[in-house]
Amino acid sequence: MSSGETTEAGAPRIVRDVVCGFCGLGCDDIEVAVAGRVVTPRKACADAARLLARGDAPAPSPRVNGAPASFAEAASAAAVHLKAARSSVFSGLGADLEGHRRLYDIAMVAGASIDHSASGGLFANLDRLARRGWIAATLAEVRNRCDLLVVFGDDPAASFGRLFERIMPVRKGEGGDAAPLFAPSGRRVVMIGTPFSDASRKALAGHELSEILLPPEQVATAAALLASALAGRDIGAVDVLPGTAGASLAELADLLRAARYSVFTWNAATLPQADAAAVAGSASEAVDLLSPTTRAAVLPLGGRDNVTGAHQLALWRFGYPLRTAIGAGTARHAPDLYATAAALKDGDLLLHASAFRPDPPPEFSAGPVIALAHPDTSFAREPDVFIPVGTPGVDHPGHVFRMDSVVCLPLQGLRSAELPSLAEAASAILANFGRGA
Amino acid sequence: MRTRVTGGRVFDPANGIIDQVRDVVIEDGRIIADPGPGGSEEVVNASGCIVLAGGIDLHSHIAGGKVNLGRLLMNEDRALFPEPFGDFCGCGGGRAAPTTHATGCRYSQMGYTAVFEPAVVGANARHAHLEMADIPNIDTGGFLVLGNDDFLLRLIAMGEGQQAINDYVAWMLKATQSCAIKIVNPGGINAFKFNGRNLDLDEAGPFYELTPRRILNTLQRAVTELGVPHPIHLHGCNLGIPGNVKTTLATMGATEGFPLHLTHIQFHSYGTEGDRHFSSGAAEIAEAVNAMPHISVDVGQIMFGQTVTASADLMSQYRNHNIADPKKWIGMDIEMDAACGVVPFNYRDTSFVNALQWAIGLELFLLIEDPWRVYLTTDHPNGGPFTSYPHLIRLLMDKPFRDHHLRQIHKAARSHTRLESISREYTLEEIAVVTRAAPARTLGLKDRGHLGPGARADVVLYEDQPDRETMFAHPRIVMKDGEVVVVNGEIVALTEGRTYAVHPPSDPLMDKRLERWFDEAVGLKSSHYQIADGEIRGGQGPEIVELKP
Repeated sequence: MSSGETTEAGAPRIVRDVVCGFCGLGCDDIEVAVAGRVVTPRKACADAARLLARGDAPAPSPRVNGAPASFAEAASAAAVHLKAARSSVFSGLGADLEGHRRLYDIAMVAGASIDHSASGGLFANLDRLARRGWIAATLAEVRNRCDLLVVFGDDPAASFGRLFERIMPVRKGEGGDAAPLFAPSGRRVVMIGTPFSDASRKALAGHELSEILLPPEQVATAAALLASALAGRDIGAVDVLPGTAGASLAELADLLRAARYSVFTWNAATLPQADAAAVAGSASEAVDLLSPTTRAAVLPLGGRDNVTGAHQLALWRFGYPLRTAIGAGTARHAPDLYATAAALKDGDLLLHASAFRPDPPPEFSAGPVIALAHPDTSFAREPDVFIPVGTPGVDHPGHVFRMDSVVCLPLQGLRSAELPSLAEAASAILANFGRGA
Repeated sequence: MRTRVTGGRVFDPANGIIDQVRDVVIEDGRIIADPGPGGSEEVVNASGCIVLAGGIDLHSHIAGGKVNLGRLLMNEDRALFPEPFGDFCGCGGGRAAPTTHATGCRYSQMGYTAVFEPAVVGANARHAHLEMADIPNIDTGGFLVLGNDDFLLRLIAMGEGQQAINDYVAWMLKATQSCAIKIVNPGGINAFKFNGRNLDLDEAGPFYELTPRRILNTLQRAVTELGVPHPIHLHGCNLGIPGNVKTTLATMGATEGFPLHLTHIQFHSYGTEGDRHFSSGAAEIAEAVNAMPHISVDVGQIMFGQTVTASADLMSQYRNHNIADPKKWIGMDIEMDAACGVVPFNYRDTSFVNALQWAIGLELFLLIEDPWRVYLTTDHPNGGPFTSYPHLIRLLMDKPFRDHHLRQIHKAARSHTRLESISREYTLEEIAVVTRAAPARTLGLKDRGHLGPGARADVVLYEDQPDRETMFAHPRIVMKDGEVVVVNGEIVALTEGRTYAVHPPSDPLMDKRLERWFDEAVGLKSSHYQIADGEIRGGQGPEIVELKP
């Protein structure tokens, strides 16, 4: 890994194979040009290009009560607030694992609940995964084995621009190492919900595409019906979905039984909130029903801003997922109490961490706000302490988990680190508690 | 600063020192030859104690994706066993799938100072290392799972020479910063991805048409030729299937003269005799191990109670998922490398099968004669949590205690085991071998597992007590690299461990080949798959294990 180096303006340095930590797909073939502070994406999806691009603005100063302050003063002020608080809420958690580790260290000594801004989809999936389990596949398994992909809900390419290119490539040439190695080059992709976008149709050219078009609120019903059909029930006559959707699902069940390795995917974050867990449940059920005779797996989509890393680290450190209160030697997992919105109702301090993008903190007025955040963040209310932090994979190296929660990727720094990393900011705060980094 | 541990009965079988009252002298984290009295020394009184090197567990699932999935499923176990309050609490807990901090503390409290994660899947290696870095007070290392990875199976199927295989194995060991090669169900995990449900030793698998025997032999030759100290660490075919004793015996005979380590052999020692078609194959296995000096085993003893099983062997775990207790389980096909299956189990002494499994494990421990070739494990957490080791040690050392427990298990199981007729009791020397000296030797850790000059000063003082369970659960003092970390079974300090790896050289042409493979087949850059030295333990880097000449 190379951290950024100072380059004369006008002589951009081309950096290839940049790893992207934003959406969770973990593309690692991004290309950017770097000249001094300026980062100009050359090969990246639209989201990554927007989030990677940097101008020539110098790093802004930390602020305490709106006034410029030194890094040490800001860290000290944050620690004073944290020591005074009785019910701190750590939200956002958009950070690399190094940042998460230090934030969790603070939570252990100061006491705090922890949750990530993108954990909604994760918890919908955990409703199935932690209570019953599932059989899942990682990206490379889908890429090489999947002969029938079923997508529930919206076209996932809206959130994960290069998903289909990554997991359903069309084989280029015969022989060699080109994926898919174990599936026919032309595969079948079925959308249950919205139609394919034009971009997705292009990415999937060469595959057999079909759509079972339904409004978002009926996707969960369709998923349940599909599982019923796989359980052997006659759903053709069930009259709960419009048009020929029921019959199409019955046909799909036959195709699934004949498939060698079918994969069910959904983005729980964009499904109607009340239905996401049910879709995860039905998809997992479908896999269970297929598995006695053939192979199938789920591929739950998600992972924005390293929510997967925040979850993994919480599990190995505390033995519980996010939405857990830490401190005084204990960890208490209560998702209903410690989801950010609920926790803020009883909280008296908000620590907002967002290093990947300038997302503002949630609304909060019952106590001080500490923001360890992207320098471009615009605040509705000036935080009591604001420490602008660098972005992992732009300003400094770090580690993030990919959406499949197996692959952990190394991010590199692209330019000189003028901004502290979130881990450095959190360590500086921690030092005020008499704990070293 | 020099420390003198004085007045203890030293058991250091690697150096031929058995039950001798002598001093152990420590300086700068290492044991030194006794320079005699004089100079400033800190004296640690070991009278009434036995003195051993730090314990080494060479097979315990302590880190990585499948352990985290175990934690996710075992939330009740986590809630039941929180870490104790105090200065050294990490806000974690759990017994079957403990958190990282709890793992380090609990091991350290029993006198262990090194633990090896035996199933690192290449694609998940970075995660495993990040977790290992979070475990205090113990040194760690990972065994890389090969033998189901598509790149390897393609190489073998295409008839590539052994040199290409060796280059690939060397590349992978370095890329994943691992210290040995583990094979889990050779070819079987891969076969399950093609919907194969069983794969016996000489059965050709789907797609590549390779037998497990061929995969095993190819990798045995590779690690031998590369000089990796630990032989192939094999989780064999047909885990848990009644009658698998035949496969296990055939596997031992299939080694073509190469050394082989058979792991959690208890799960591979089942016959089909009796009216329940489930019987002990321990005697046959032990007889074979006794006759074959190139074979070593660890037992994978089962202990009654709640646990979770976590394995790369999804073929077997899928077969077992219906007996999950509680009723939940997770499976995963992983990234052209391997797979995993995580299934909670509750082993009951009232179950015929579980009770007999318990007896089979003990029979193996007691019938295998050479303690240098059998290592004490429960395959944590698969047979039971590692915290049960002191109980297991007492079962091995105390025949009346063992008989007492034998009388409590399922009645029919009792009549299917010869355990009661076995009078052997492990000696302290033998415990020192199976928990220290032997695992260090097989892993090639020359400065561990013994108390001779130059050894790392991992030194444990156990107060000699007739109740061996209490004795081994609460050491009087545990020193890690010369620093006292445990006193009277309680943590008094936390220290950072190190991570062992081997770095055999590989032909640079393999870099090119793997670049293309990762680009085209996997969809990830090979440069991002490889773990840099600086990523290990926050920049500390790995401790490199010397290759055999």
